[in-house]
Amino acid sequence: MRRYQIVLGATAAGLAGVLSYHTVSGGTGVTLQATGNASSAGSSSTSAPAGSSSTTAAPTPTTAGSSGTSANAPSTTTTAPSVRRAQGTEEEYRYGLLELQVTVSSGKITDVQPVVDEATDPRSAEINAQAIPMLRDQALQAQSANIDGVSGASYTSAAFEASLQSALNKLGR
Amino acid sequence: MGTVFSITVMGGPDLATAAACAFLHQADQDFSPWIQDSWISRIRRGEVDLAAAPAPIREVHGLCLEALRVTDGWFDPWRLPGGFDPTGLVKGWAAERAAEMLRDSGAAAAMVNGAGDIACFGRPDPERDWRVGLEDPFDPSRIAMVVEGWPAVATSGTYQRGLHLIRPASGRPAVSVRAATVVGPRLWLADALATAAAVAGVGAGMEMVEAVDGYELLVVGEDGRRSWTSGFTAEAAA
Repeated sequence: MRRYQIVLGATAAGLAGVLSYHTVSGGTGVTLQATGNASSAGSSSTSAPAGSSSTTAAPTPTTAGSSGTSANAPSTTTTAPSVRRAQGTEEEYRYGLLELQVTVSSGKITDVQPVVDEATDPRSAEINAQAIPMLRDQALQAQSANIDGVSGASYTSAAFEASLQSALNKLGR
Repeated sequence: MGTVFSITVMGGPDLATAAACAFLHQADQDFSPWIQDSWISRIRRGEVDLAAAPAPIREVHGLCLEALRVTDGWFDPWRLPGGFDPTGLVKGWAAERAAEMLRDSGAAAAMVNGAGDIACFGRPDPERDWRVGLEDPFDPSRIAMVVEGWPAVATSGTYQRGLHLIRPASGRPAVSVRAATVVGPRLWLADALATAAAVAGVGAGMEMVEAVDGYELLVVGEDGRRSWTSGFTAEAAA
């Protein structure tokens, strides 16, 4: 059992949340579970309910490319239609307004796109133009097989993750 | 810090992750210069004395002094607009501390990624080590290289926040380094070294990191050329 959690550093608005990605043993499918809440900083976060099942030995997280593959994934969530989309709430953050659409296919995030992206000033818009694709790619790459994380010069928007979180909540993940 | 941390953890109690998250939130509250009543903001405004600050603030202050020395002054959190600002080190420090908390609570392995500054321990799988992809600084959607098995990986650069790195000597932004990645045993120092190398420029950065035991540098210049210190190894990404 492999857990992948995205934890927000508190923003000016005090958003917080946790995303858990659970790999099923067998390795090819990545299911997503949003277990966070948009509470403020403090103690509340985490304690993923699904985490309790964490007995099985860690499978090699060697998933192949992010979409489509998944030979033996069906060991989970069979009822879901294969492709679903949900939009996150609009999240206000220091530099403007951001809303994301998350596409989940066969239990995997296959795309993350901004729906609303109203930066408050030209510089912020410019930053977003760089940061949003970067964050999307990181979200996708984190699910891909042969790396566990991405190191790059940092600009990060907690609003991105908060909106991603709420989109996943709407998908019932 | 106002940034995103991701935590990958193998084993250990769920509560440990919650505790690590709580710590990261607290670190944000304590250290963010963008939060008006953070300790750092109050120290910057001269409202409180360092001696009166809680232990983590004093610890980070001590690490900043150490980093100033190790980097020959290239990492200088005192010579920044608005006064003392440990941001160039504190994200790495916090991620490293969160990883230590997970290890101490019994996790077999974990990776804590503070927006690209990564601390890890243990192995994600008996067969292999943690693998970290390094962004191509000219095309951040691409992974240019992969490093494996380092407890700390930190990248600093000028390409995502614009020219956010300031040359201590001149007060002007550094432009000659596109991105600098430092690997080594401790993330707080790797973070400071990466920041320092990005400020120092390619040549001085190489010289600086080469002299620090256990740490290696990969630096990409604005001209696209890559340089690395003698012990740096990586594989090209597929």
